[in-house]
Amino acid sequence: MQDVTGSASPIAVSVRDVGMVYDGFHAVKSASFDLPAGKFLTILGPSGSGKTTLLRLIAGFQAPTSGEIVINGKAVSAVPAHQRSIGMVFQKLALFPHMTAAENVAFPLKMRRQDARTIPERVERYLDLVKLGGYGGRRIHELSGGQQQRVAIARALVFEPDLLLLDEPLAALDRKLREEMQLEFRRIQRELGVTTINVTHDQREALVVSDEIIVMDAGEIQQKAQPTRTYRNPQNAFVANFIGVTNFISGAVRSVAGSNAVLAHSAVEIPGIVGDERNPPRAGGQASGAIRAEQIRIAANARSLSGLDIVLEGSIRDAIFEGERIVYEVCVPALAGEALRVFDHDPVDHVQFEPGAAVSIGWNSRDVLVFNN
Amino acid sequence: MRAARTAYPLTWRIMDVLEAFAAFVWPTSFRRAIPYLLLAPALLLVGLLVLGLIQIGDLSLRTLDTSTFLLSENYTLANYRKALTEPLFVVVATRSLTGSLIVTVVTLIFAFPYAYLMVRTRSAGLRKFLLIALFLPFFIGQVVRAYGWLIILGNQGMVNEALGLIGVAPLRLLYNYPAVLFGLVQYMLPFAVLMLAPALTAIPEELETAAASLGANWVHSFIHVVLPLARPGLVGAGLVVVTLSLTDFAMPAILGGGSQDFIANAIYDQFFRTSDQGLGATLALMLVALGSLLVGIVFTLFGAGTLAMGRARQ
Ligand SMILES: Nc1ncnc2c1ncn2[C@@H]1O[C@H](COP(=O)(O)OP(=O)(O)OP(=O)(O)O)[C@@H](O)[C@H]1O
Ligand SMILES: [Mg+2]
Repeated sequence: MQDVTGSASPIAVSVRDVGMVYDGFHAVKSASFDLPAGKFLTILGPSGSGKTTLLRLIAGFQAPTSGEIVINGKAVSAVPAHQRSIGMVFQKLALFPHMTAAENVAFPLKMRRQDARTIPERVERYLDLVKLGGYGGRRIHELSGGQQQRVAIARALVFEPDLLLLDEPLAALDRKLREEMQLEFRRIQRELGVTTINVTHDQREALVVSDEIIVMDAGEIQQKAQPTRTYRNPQNAFVANFIGVTNFISGAVRSVAGSNAVLAHSAVEIPGIVGDERNPPRAGGQASGAIRAEQIRIAANARSLSGLDIVLEGSIRDAIFEGERIVYEVCVPALAGEALRVFDHDPVDHVQFEPGAAVSIGWNSRDVLVFNN
Repeated sequence: MRAARTAYPLTWRIMDVLEAFAAFVWPTSFRRAIPYLLLAPALLLVGLLVLGLIQIGDLSLRTLDTSTFLLSENYTLANYRKALTEPLFVVVATRSLTGSLIVTVVTLIFAFPYAYLMVRTRSAGLRKFLLIALFLPFFIGQVVRAYGWLIILGNQGMVNEALGLIGVAPLRLLYNYPAVLFGLVQYMLPFAVLMLAPALTAIPEELETAAASLGANWVHSFIHVVLPLARPGLVGAGLVVVTLSLTDFAMPAILGGGSQDFIANAIYDQFFRTSDQGLGATLALMLVALGSLLVGIVFTLFGAGTLAMGRARQ
């Protein structure tokens, strides 16, 4: 696979056709990807999609039933977990409760028989890195959730591993702290340049912290791309649906010309772009047009939407004020009464429409991605 | 119907009936007394024990008049002097104490891997097998089990017969110190495993996985993670085994054949053979003192908190 980021850094992790079967159940199906050194990769997917399984295979806690994992050019199937140079932050942190924060961080150094005289200084440096300088003497249960998180990160990084694995370590934190820690991850990762694989089901986290995102579903990799690409050019309907708020308008394919396709729903023709070039819609078949809620404009009358390719009349079914935006559900008679979700990102200046109000909505055809059903 | 049953389980209905009954016999105004009421049976039992102890203390201060076989009317410390100076009693006490310590160490060493495997194995079948193998000897009882060993280890026993087949002369496997210790270890193993299993269950398996990812092989992970976290279980199991074997009667009596008496056997002899109740009571009190001393040492060394008692620090 090509290094899409364009950098010349060597491949740190190469996962080749890796599969994992638990008595007949395929938790991971033939996953393949390369990760260049120093990059931050996030594996994103719904619960049960095989993210943790894939991470455990890379860490060496389990052996894959098929395929091969190569770390820094070396196939590691025969290397037990404790001999792989991989730092891991567990979902439940797995800090040692009978040790202090400093002892926890010193543990991997001791296991690697580092010179006892250099350990305290090194531990202090990494505690400083995660902003826990001076907390080394605390017992684990004397630290807050966020501080424990930081100890776990310091412990996973202190031995300068080739690879850092994060298994949803932020899932248990409240939103504010989670967002703070996401940025912290990013900062530390940039500072140390350590290759990182992060697992999450939080799409926002994936977009914020990653150089690359792998979207997984049902044990299969759906897409691997940079965050902006994943968001703007989802490769299939699953990715389009999983990331962001997306409306799907299904209909018959009227015509396909190059990368343009036209869908027909009821009496409306909806032009769009072919979403997945490898699996393009065919004229006469069924397909879905995917359009994001923020790409649909909403106004009191059609005149203010005159620049848009498609303009339809509708009525408000529901309006939800979310602070930084208003989410409308708009019922569109022309689309056989289908409801579309529409964002208004200017809730302060704009008047909020009440349920039942007649509105116009519109969008540009280049924002519609057409996927085969 | 089924949904209703699961949403309001039978146990809750039973509790409702019990609570209604309790409210009937014990009106709410008496509620503050409930904690003391619940404590009463335990206090009663401990009180009876204390009364018995006072009685024994009284006995221990009277000497036996060998001409009348009656206990003296006046108090003297002669029994204590005798217990502490008579070589036989010193030998018995030392034998019991070293024996119980050896048994404790060996039992813990055997019980730990057993409990660990039982807790950690992924195979439900193996876990069941280990549990049944653990409980089966429990049902047999100590005395019957000791007789079983007599049959197996005796001069014409299975072991010696098997040895005979390969041309080894019969060995004297019974009526010696190792035989008693062997029987005790075998008897104590289930207790130790049962005390260790919950302590090991309380250690999240992920801690061991984490240790591995941090570079620890299984030996290091065992020494630095499992063992320290299993300390409450080890201390608890150790206490149970050491006190039970220090005070044991049947194993030394049956497998020791009278030549390997522990303190309990000596007490039995005083009460029922020599009929010197005074000396017997003295020995009993000294056994209580020795046991308490051991428990006291363990508590000062490890703190009561190691037994997972006291409030959990969260
Ligand atoms: N030890 C196991 N035995 C059998 N099936 C398993 C085992 N571990 C995981 N699975 C199954 O494999 C699938 C993937 O599990 P995995 O833990 O990788 O999901 P995940 O993507 O990490 O989900 P989550 O976001 O909920 O953590 C699940 O359907 C799960 O039931
Ligand atoms: Mg998971």
